[in-house]
Amino acid sequence: MTTNPTRSRQTPSATAIPLRPFGSHQDIRVSALGMGGHHLGDAADDETAVRIVQEGFDGGITFFDNCWEYHRGKSEILLGTGLKGHRDKVFLMTKVCTHGRDAALATEMLEQSLNRLQTDHLDLWQLHGVSFENDPDLFMRPGGAAEAMLKAKQQGKVRFLGFTGHKDPAIHLKMLATGFPFDAVQMPLNAFDATFRSFQTEVLPELNRRGIAALGMKPFSGHGEPIQNGAITAKEALRYAMSLPITVTITGMDKLDVLRQNLKVAQNFTPMPREEMRALENRVKLVAADGHFELYKTSIKFDNPEARLAHGFPLDMKSAEVEEIVMATQNTGKPFPQIPK
Amino acid sequence: MQKNSEAEPVNQSGVKFSRRDFVKGAAAFTASTLARVTEETMKGKSQAPGSAAKVPMRPLGNTGAQVSALGVGGFHLGSTKDQPEANEIVARALDAGINFFDNAWDYHDGLSEGRLGDALQGKRDRAFVMTKVCTHGRSKDVAMQMLEQSLRRLQTDHLDLWQIHEVIYYNDPDLIFAPNGAAEALALAKQQGKVRFVGFTGHKDPAIHLRMLKHGFPFDTVQMPLNACDASFRSFETQVLPEATKQGIAVLGMKSLGGSGELVRGGALTAHEGLRYAMSLPVATTISGMDSIAVLEQNLEVARGFQPLSTADMQSLRDRVKQYAADGRFELFKTTKMYDGGVGREQHHFPTPDKLPA
Repeated sequence: MTTNPTRSRQTPSATAIPLRPFGSHQDIRVSALGMGGHHLGDAADDETAVRIVQEGFDGGITFFDNCWEYHRGKSEILLGTGLKGHRDKVFLMTKVCTHGRDAALATEMLEQSLNRLQTDHLDLWQLHGVSFENDPDLFMRPGGAAEAMLKAKQQGKVRFLGFTGHKDPAIHLKMLATGFPFDAVQMPLNAFDATFRSFQTEVLPELNRRGIAALGMKPFSGHGEPIQNGAITAKEALRYAMSLPITVTITGMDKLDVLRQNLKVAQNFTPMPREEMRALENRVKLVAADGHFELYKTSIKFDNPEARLAHGFPLDMKSAEVEEIVMATQNTGKPFPQIPK
Repeated sequence: MQKNSEAEPVNQSGVKFSRRDFVKGAAAFTASTLARVTEETMKGKSQAPGSAAKVPMRPLGNTGAQVSALGVGGFHLGSTKDQPEANEIVARALDAGINFFDNAWDYHDGLSEGRLGDALQGKRDRAFVMTKVCTHGRSKDVAMQMLEQSLRRLQTDHLDLWQIHEVIYYNDPDLIFAPNGAAEALALAKQQGKVRFVGFTGHKDPAIHLRMLKHGFPFDTVQMPLNACDASFRSFETQVLPEATKQGIAVLGMKSLGGSGELVRGGALTAHEGLRYAMSLPVATTISGMDSIAVLEQNLEVARGFQPLSTADMQSLRDRVKQYAADGRFELFKTTKMYDGGVGREQHHFPTPDKLPA
């Protein structure tokens, strides 16, 4: 259970992805580029998804992200298959999707995640989708998910605990103010975030002060909108995100091409000089200021309809955006996600 | 007008104003539903004890001026069916003790300012007239041209208060305080005696307001959304109100019912509760849009002889609406583009709302 995932790796070649400490745990090192779990379910077929995992591992990725609700479990199953034989060489994370509901549901989800991932333990288990102002209260309430997390750690089913969200730095700070012993916190970190409702300026310094591992996500602003628009190149965007003082940058890859492109940046990674980072922030500042390149903060485009329902928030089916998220997540329309046996 | 028609930036013809279309629909709700509520309330207590009482006056920060605790919003004056209706709203408001009148250069492409100017003919000295300048990042010169236009439409030689409108983008503070920016226009207009006091307004994010306040500019006022839901969602009440008060800047509240009655329509609270909550905060005035006599009378039921809610009552209202507040669904001005003006987006080089998700 205390295996250092990186110690058993081959001697790093000249083009290995840099390894970084997991927060204050200097003995645990993970790859500076992490593979996002959601996109595995978007791959052309299962075979491609499994190859993405294997080729990523061979390319030096040791940090693997996932989540109980991604593609209704398919993403976890694909990752479990892809990591067969390598489980002890990677740092495996998945997330629990209580969305305000109770500890018993969280524990049930954990068992299911372990089954799908074909493992007896997780390296990191995080609370998913902390997006609403009342999430910290719901998490900490008696019988809430916080209790399930502490119990799982005590039982050795998970080594570390964390949470993730993409909405508002203020909500992250509220989570940190609860005093819960988080080992990791995940958040969107990119050049646009630097000047708009900024996790980088409001949350990241607090994590580093406390020795909590900072996990960056959305280096391409979610679906690469500013890259398609020409505001920034993919290489600049990833290099910027990876140059922040964080443990890992997690990004989703649904095609081998995309994986290879990211590996190229990560294997030849040299941090962006501070002045270059400031210049890039200034360059994109004008278009960052209304958040239209960070729709996870400013719209419900990246939110999960089931999370809304679990909170008792309405889903306005007349809204094009709601229709889109319901279709994207193959939502059942039922207030509670079923747990398929 | 010759000068203005030559100035491209001030030319407003043909500009799509997305907010207007939205508010038009929502205002229909306000007028009909609230009127019905009023009627019912009036039936219940036709001899309301406070009906003759005036709307109380409050100090406007450190300015020495006094303003009424309820203010008439200018956007909705432009939504009235005709000038006589606007005249009657303004006259009745003045008689009830209201002196604070809000407006903005771009409301209904100038119609709102025109309506207020006409309605205040011969009554200008009884009113505290505010309007807003809509540079959206453009220069001091544009601001000064807009001021002249506003003064003409309002038929006055000076404003009591001139505010920078729609400070809602993260780079607005930089643009406003850039050399030759709108902040210089505020200072110049004050120096010239064309405006007595200056301020700014915005409905988007407390963080942007706080950035504006960090510049140390001598703002007399700052306007912001204040309602029972705001207290627990991206909150101006907890983040900006104390800071402005500390700096001696008068706070003007707005959107007491969510902008277009969303809080009432969604069942979070009644119109009376919403207004009473907003007016009980430590603010100089609460600005409310009133596009009919019925809505004015409804507001006056609360505002005449106003007594603030107790701390305990305030807290119980906040707790009651907290469940609706957490996803910002009734504060769409914070969470969507619905209340953002098209001109502002255009001037910032942002895509128009139809190119963005709903």
